[in-house]
Amino acid sequence: MSDLAKIQRAVLGVLCGPTSLVRLPEAVALADSLVTGNARQSPAMQLDVDREQFVLRHLDVLRDDFRSLEQVLGEDRFELLALSYLANHPPRSFTLRDLGCDLPRFVAATEPWSSDPLLADLARVEWAFVDAFDAPDAPLLEVASIEAIDEESWPLARIAFVPSLQRLALAHPAQDYRLAVRDAARDATVLAALPRPAPNPTYVAVFRGPGRLHCVDLEADAFALLEELARGAPLGQACERVALLSSTSPSAPTSFEEKVGAWFQQWTALGWISTVAVT
Amino acid sequence: MGYRGRHSIPDLGVGVGFRAPHYARVLDGPAPAMDWFEVISENFMVAGGRPLENLARLRERYPVVPHGVSLAIGSVEPLDEDYLRRLRTLVDRLDPPWVSDHLCWGRAPGLHVHDLLPLPYTPEAVELVVERVKRVQGVLERPFALENVSSYMTYRASSMPEMDFLGEIVERADCGLLLDCNNVYVSARNHGLDADAYIDAMPADRVVQLHLAGHTDKGSYVLDTHAGPVCDEVWALYRRAIERIGPVATLIEWDDEIPTWEVLSAEAERARVLRKVLIS
Repeated sequence: MSDLAKIQRAVLGVLCGPTSLVRLPEAVALADSLVTGNARQSPAMQLDVDREQFVLRHLDVLRDDFRSLEQVLGEDRFELLALSYLANHPPRSFTLRDLGCDLPRFVAATEPWSSDPLLADLARVEWAFVDAFDAPDAPLLEVASIEAIDEESWPLARIAFVPSLQRLALAHPAQDYRLAVRDAARDATVLAALPRPAPNPTYVAVFRGPGRLHCVDLEADAFALLEELARGAPLGQACERVALLSSTSPSAPTSFEEKVGAWFQQWTALGWISTVAVT
Repeated sequence: MGYRGRHSIPDLGVGVGFRAPHYARVLDGPAPAMDWFEVISENFMVAGGRPLENLARLRERYPVVPHGVSLAIGSVEPLDEDYLRRLRTLVDRLDPPWVSDHLCWGRAPGLHVHDLLPLPYTPEAVELVVERVKRVQGVLERPFALENVSSYMTYRASSMPEMDFLGEIVERADCGLLLDCNNVYVSARNHGLDADAYIDAMPADRVVQLHLAGHTDKGSYVLDTHAGPVCDEVWALYRRAIERIGPVATLIEWDDEIPTWEVLSAEAERARVLRKVLIS
């Protein structure tokens, strides 16, 4: 290994931790061997400036991306979560935009945060907004392309959604709670008194519309159909699968077929559908 | 002919960084007076959405130069080819007169520290960076400029002064130099160096751009925070740089505690007036 590689490996070995290097004898010895120090700062103190900036920089990014989660946990508990996350998921991407990509899964899988599933739901909603924000642009559905499809071919149609469309199945109405937290956060007393939502299976779609991001509620069957279609299933097959598992009673006033028609109108109006193709 | 002449590097005047609190002021309504804008490359190396819409609108109004923070050109790890491809896409969108990033390192396998860590000033580091710059210029097909970074540590392994290290790299790599006057000041304060001598040692014909910024005095060291106005000592370095180098594009960086557009514009105007006096 070259001298430069040895230096870089050694520096990175101590740069990402939450503890001041001055308090770590091994880090002090390492710094002494690598860094000169000066009259005001020991070698470890010099190296510790960059370590401290590493922590602060990444905490700031996680705070920005998971603002409601921080407001619910409080600053100190969020910092513990963020530091634990950084230790287990050190930044790998060149862009800080990707830093929090694994946080929802980390919260869902790691004690003590996993014992409160509402936290993972909140994190998932907040990350869906990040993903929707700069997802690739896509052309919107052209009416002519669906008019060209004859009625018999529709069951074979495959539907592509715009990349910004994020679909979430949640255990709580986390988006409603997120909005309530955001409003309540202006007053610590109001925030502390904010009731937590009871567990209730909830389906939402986060997407980018002209000029802003949106989040809308979905019926369970609509969510299931979106998932089938997003996986590439042809329309007819997707509808059959979802109808089979649907909670909609065959004798319900609105039939499953009528619902599908209404959903398609809504999805088209909201700009979720990019292309419809019969293959 | 010098580097600027060979590459027809324009003097863009005085610009500022394109930052979110000012998007509406800059993009909506009449275009405010500003010579040019610098954007953080990585913020716009995305697939779509509002960032690229805003960038396109900015480009319609002003010259725009991308300035990277994540190339980590001095890391011993191979350059990130995906990063280079995405940077090239951004360059193609903007058609900038040059592209810049920092003379630093910050990557390892499975880790990107998002910091501008100083390199040890050694012949080995010179060789590595020179080869990398050539590769970057080949991919981008644009003039590429390296910026001197602020540093908080000095390596025992260093065998030459920073100014010699930087000068040798830009000469041998045949690239441009983004001279950050605030970084010169910060490093000089932190390491007891002569900031004037640093400015005087820079290869003047390779300087394509100057940076000005604020910093924070932490007592035992000075931190490059880009917070607050440019201090008098940094203005003095800027004056020295312009007198030596001549008129080159200048940029005010203000990234923390970002002020109103009016305050930022006033800081840019101060540089503009000073530049005009010195050049005339």
